[in-house]
Amino acid sequence: MSDLIGDNYPMLLVMSRFGIPLGFGEKNVKEVCKMHHVDACTFLTVVNFLSDDSHDTPILSDCFSMEALISYLQNSHTYFLDFRLPNIREKLVNAIHNCPKDVAFVIIRFFDEYAEEVFKHMQYEEKVVFPYVKGLLKGEKDSRYNISIFKKRHDQIEMKIIELKNLIIKYYPAEGGNLLNSVLFDIFACEQDLASHSKVEDFLFTPAILELEKNQC
Amino acid sequence: MTINLNIVVADPSVIIRCGIEATLKRIQGIRFHIDEVSAIDTLYEFLKKRKPDILIINPALLGYASLSLLREECACPKLKCVALLYAVAERSLLNQYDEFITIYDTAEDIKNKLEKMSIHEEEDKTEDDEELQTLSSREKEIVVCVVKGLTNREIAEQLYLSAHTVITHRRNIARKLQIHSASGLTVYAIVNKLVELGDIKK
Repeated sequence: MSDLIGDNYPMLLVMSRFGIPLGFGEKNVKEVCKMHHVDACTFLTVVNFLSDDSHDTPILSDCFSMEALISYLQNSHTYFLDFRLPNIREKLVNAIHNCPKDVAFVIIRFFDEYAEEVFKHMQYEEKVVFPYVKGLLKGEKDSRYNISIFKKRHDQIEMKIIELKNLIIKYYPAEGGNLLNSVLFDIFACEQDLASHSKVEDFLFTPAILELEKNQC
Repeated sequence: MTINLNIVVADPSVIIRCGIEATLKRIQGIRFHIDEVSAIDTLYEFLKKRKPDILIINPALLGYASLSLLREECACPKLKCVALLYAVAERSLLNQYDEFITIYDTAEDIKNKLEKMSIHEEEDKTEDDEELQTLSSREKEIVVCVVKGLTNREIAEQLYLSAHTVITHRRNIARKLQIHSASGLTVYAIVNKLVELGDIKK
């Protein structure tokens, strides 16, 4: 397990979203997962999928658990909404306090609008998509909804934060300093992280649901 | 001037895909965003979602499917398609492609081919590129209106333009500044002192 994280540190986030804490000693992935009642097969599917640069949908093995994947996605949402974005906002506010008041105001306003968009985006998945899939797993088919609707309207939420980053880099009117650079690094990381989150939803989650729908017809 | 290109490399071989990616990254003067795809199904999905500029594809992957059909189905009418050849290929097979590269091409060869291909596209843009990123005074007026929350029609009325012209201006502004949202333009307008905070808080 420590080899896995050491080789590819963003997997730390995957681990914690599956509910595996640090301090696993020399145990291997299977042992660690078993200890924390995490489905090792699903964990490995996500890890392998994210480590691969291509966007191919992996063939899911029989042991793959959709429930575990959903709980992973939900934990990711909580992470972005309750920790990542508020944390960036707080650092951003501190970092830009010495720039002109009006500029600081519009930058923060831009950020808040963005956070609201991300919230709505994820809220939709929580309120509509996940309940639908959970129903599907129980064998209840809701004829009013299908995953293609989600596929169509699922947009790229990282675009707007890229815009914010570019705005700051190109037009920031005052001395930036270490703090602002650090926020920019956070934004870069968050952007990557949101992109891989979408990658899981578009190329792992959605195809799996399509398959599930087919089997129920 | 740096060109930005979004490229998809479609080939079943991971060694080839990585090789292409590494070679492209050595090319100076073009900024690449590269994605890899190994199977035809994923390719369709991917093109629909991401709308890249160029597709570098192993013709064997496409089989006898036609590229014009692919473009149509994925709603990417302007997609440039480059055949990726391992060996000598029959000419007729290559007719439908915009260009081809072989695995023995140097980074320089590939660069020339890619540039030649995007030049057709860029020709009408070159004039704009000279004044890239700086907005004309008309465009600045439009930014101010957008930031104040006016609709396209209101802007047209106020500046005595047609709604169509306003839309063209807005598209140019988005391209020059790489800012696509109204709130992004607000930040731009405040930083560049085109408006004051009081104007937009209403």
